[in-house]
Amino acid sequence: MILSKMNASMSLSRRRRERKAFRAESAYHATGLAIALFFLAPFAITLLASFRHGTEARLPPLPPWPVNGISLDSYRSLDTFGAGVWQHTFNSLLVSLATVALTVAVSVLAGYGFSRYRFPLKNVLFVLIIATLMIPFQSILTPLFIILARLGLNNSLFGLTLVYVTLQLPFSVFMMRNAFDAVPKEIEEAARIDGARDLKLLFRVLMPLVLPGIATVAIFAFLNAWNEFLAALVLLSSNEKYTLPVLMMAVRAGRLGAVNWGAVQAGVAVMTLPCLVVFLLLQRYYMRGLMAGAVK
Amino acid sequence: MAGSGPGKALPVRRRRRHSQWRGLLYIAPAMALVIVFFVMPVLFTGWMSLHNWPLLGSPRWIGFNNYFRMANDARFASALRFTTYYTVIVTIAIFAVAFPLAIFVEKHRRFVGAYRTIIFLPVVVGLASASLLWVWLANVDSGFIGPALRALGLVEKSPNLLATFDSAFFTIIVMVVWKIAGFTMIILLTGLQAIPSELTEAARIDGAGPWQRFRYLTLPLMRRTIALALIISVTGSILAFDQFYIMTSGGPQNRMISVVYYIFNQSFVSFNLGYGAALSIALLAILVVISVMQLRLLRVGEDRP
Amino acid sequence: MIKRLLAATSIVTLCLASGASAAEKIEMWVRSGIGESFKKVVEAYNASHENQVAMTEVPFSELVQKYATAIAGGQAPDALSLDLIYTPAFAAAGQLEDLTDWAKGLPYFNSLSPSHVKLGTYQDRIYGLPLSVETSIFAWNKDLYKKAGLDPEKAPTSWEEIEANAEKIRALGDDIYGFYFSGGGCGGCMIFTFTPLVWGSGADILSSDGKTATLDTPEMRKAVDIYRSMVKKDLVPASAASDNGVNFLTFTNGKIGQQSLGAFAIGTLVTENPDINFGVTLIPGVNGGTSSFAGGDNFVITKGTKKIDAVKEFLEYTYSMDGQKVMAKYGSLPTRGDIADKVLEGLDPRMQVGIKAIEVAKTPYTLQFNDLINSANGPWATFTNAAIYGDDVDGAFSNAQSEMQSIIDTGQ
Repeated sequence: MILSKMNASMSLSRRRRERKAFRAESAYHATGLAIALFFLAPFAITLLASFRHGTEARLPPLPPWPVNGISLDSYRSLDTFGAGVWQHTFNSLLVSLATVALTVAVSVLAGYGFSRYRFPLKNVLFVLIIATLMIPFQSILTPLFIILARLGLNNSLFGLTLVYVTLQLPFSVFMMRNAFDAVPKEIEEAARIDGARDLKLLFRVLMPLVLPGIATVAIFAFLNAWNEFLAALVLLSSNEKYTLPVLMMAVRAGRLGAVNWGAVQAGVAVMTLPCLVVFLLLQRYYMRGLMAGAVK
Repeated sequence: MAGSGPGKALPVRRRRRHSQWRGLLYIAPAMALVIVFFVMPVLFTGWMSLHNWPLLGSPRWIGFNNYFRMANDARFASALRFTTYYTVIVTIAIFAVAFPLAIFVEKHRRFVGAYRTIIFLPVVVGLASASLLWVWLANVDSGFIGPALRALGLVEKSPNLLATFDSAFFTIIVMVVWKIAGFTMIILLTGLQAIPSELTEAARIDGAGPWQRFRYLTLPLMRRTIALALIISVTGSILAFDQFYIMTSGGPQNRMISVVYYIFNQSFVSFNLGYGAALSIALLAILVVISVMQLRLLRVGEDRP
Repeated sequence: MIKRLLAATSIVTLCLASGASAAEKIEMWVRSGIGESFKKVVEAYNASHENQVAMTEVPFSELVQKYATAIAGGQAPDALSLDLIYTPAFAAAGQLEDLTDWAKGLPYFNSLSPSHVKLGTYQDRIYGLPLSVETSIFAWNKDLYKKAGLDPEKAPTSWEEIEANAEKIRALGDDIYGFYFSGGGCGGCMIFTFTPLVWGSGADILSSDGKTATLDTPEMRKAVDIYRSMVKKDLVPASAASDNGVNFLTFTNGKIGQQSLGAFAIGTLVTENPDINFGVTLIPGVNGGTSSFAGGDNFVITKGTKKIDAVKEFLEYTYSMDGQKVMAKYGSLPTRGDIADKVLEGLDPRMQVGIKAIEVAKTPYTLQFNDLINSANGPWATFTNAAIYGDDVDGAFSNAQSEMQSIIDTGQ
């Protein structure tokens, strides 16, 4: 009797606990959805609105989705700026990918050097690289331009790439040094005994171990190079070399005294989609690398 | 050690010298880039700051006059004031949003990975694109926020959010929080995850409430992570430029001129490259001081594990 | 499609041309938003000449900065279409080619737009010549006038009339407004459309030698009051308060009753918005009289360019009847007064108002135009927004007056 009562009350309390847990779970996901909505909505609204007809571009996006059928008017009007959107996208891709390749190469070498070797002025040089973060680079644009001109690299996508790589170095070298620091010395010793030396050791043995770090560095380099506009605007000087962000500035400035909001929406979509795709594809590495870097 | 027998010391020294040379070789490409594209421009900027250097025409040596001028420059003072104000407000706003988010996504529940990803999405978009996107959203006639408020019947007329200082500033803060909070959240998340769960469990058994646990356990243990997030946020805010340039062009009646914006204006609108250079050097000095202070903060965290 | 074909053919001609040894390739920059007229004249020139012009569009807000940086790096283009108000500053800095002797030898020199030549002259030498002429005019939407019960053919002659009309038009509906201006700190827009209110009645914002700021006049007070009153009565869309110039041509949406515009807008309206039925007249002053701002671009040549003869050939082409006609067809006013009538023959008669405006038009001559007027963060831009939208009109006047004077004084 007592036992069954106890049983009953236990199952009652369990049920109550379950109900409570369910309620907590629902509250949690309700909050989660609200948060997700806030962070996703601007993208969704822009993307949807960009497919409205050109004649609707001036109207507020209520509702955001195209009510009168899908149209590529906005993207077409984007194509009338500068040398056309394809050319600028190609330039942006070229610069971004070159920045990624160079940044990875340079920062892996430097990170390895700073992590494993001792040499004079090591700390000073490291701080010097990190210090690049501290100057507003808008204020060194003129000297940068003059130096690039002296090197014959003005108005060249390669020159712009070198500047981007430099801007990436503080973060990348810091990341890669930490990544190499995290690799146990024993692994290296063992490989050394097996006869692996220097670059071979670096590429064959250590590289796979620091891959998350490399992915992080690569993604950061891509995103920053893809999105930068002021240096591109000042350092490049012909239509066919402009990158996408410069095109966006022209779109913002409007044409014939009226901003084409449709072109703005399409431009934002073209600018952001590659970033989102790259991130979503590689996010596992990105997050892991970022978190590993943050712990140090 | 230097004076010990040659037979033993030589190979060691040779190896060390060998290794020194090699280490420098590894960092050489990075150093070359930093020297050519950072150190040289900065030195050049320093040199320019000692001149009356018009954007066009020939420069004239004026010694430290640009720096004296800075001391009496009311507009520079107000740019500094605005930048400080912005940095404080935006940093508080980011932390006020990112900390709860970090706690929210730390829980082991279903879909938590999806939440993390979604919150992080705006981080990967450029600040210029984000500003452009929000200029449109905030536009009074063709945007989303004002017309949506009106459609919901909350306001009678769609408000022009970018027309007055308070609403424009608020819009920019919301945009920046939307764009940056995910990044700060992830950094804070690493700190949260590094706290051993036994500790929190023990505190719970000892009868500590959630707020007490947060205040006396979580916060002290996350000191280093918070310091890191703080440094990143503060440095970024002090250098803020794009959002004001793109969203409000310096804002209603010039009230949103940040320091970098002022430098940009002096150099490229008023054509005073020399004065702009002096302002840049001053800003660099300010940032170095702040960073050193913050690094010290970080080290304090190291002392108390 | 046609545009793309044209572009393709121009690339082909470009490649062919670069194969020929004698042909020069002129690098030229123009500000974005300059409109079709200049692009078309370049196309026409390239199609008919051996020398070729390669035109690069630079976002207008960054053009000056970019050009100056390029000069510093020794990478400037051969020629530039420069907003005329910058010509004195660039000439004073010694960066432009002296064109005096060549220009005075042109048979039609004396009939070139006088404001442009005046601004292109620095210490009695000529550095800039007119490329495109642009005057400010007042436009009204005839359809909205009719709907509001006003006489669509009667141009308003005073601001009292304009305001009264604006009220009637505003009554037409929720999203129909009586008046528009770019009031969000757009110095360029406001000097263009707003100063004619005081110029027409004899006042000015700078003394004639450009050395004293004379902002605080009864005429300017009155002009500010008129705009304030229209804003207060909700006759102006809310978006005007933050429009930094990007939506200068809001009139083209057909929901604005009246607005001061540039003459180039006539061309834009006719070609891009043929459904808008509008009239144009000169901008009235606050106490009677009319005025206008003579704007547009000067053609300047970077000092030391090796292609100077080719550049001159191109400029002479733009001054020829053919060149002038192409430009006028796409909305730019003729730069040559002597053939203006012939050039405009068969074109929209409203263009004549733009030409008439040249006679009453003014342009301030100052080396610090950018600092004083054009910069979105300069005293003039700040003043227009603060005086019309702010709460403290007196403060706006005194702040702007003293800041303008201090900029002028430091520049001496």
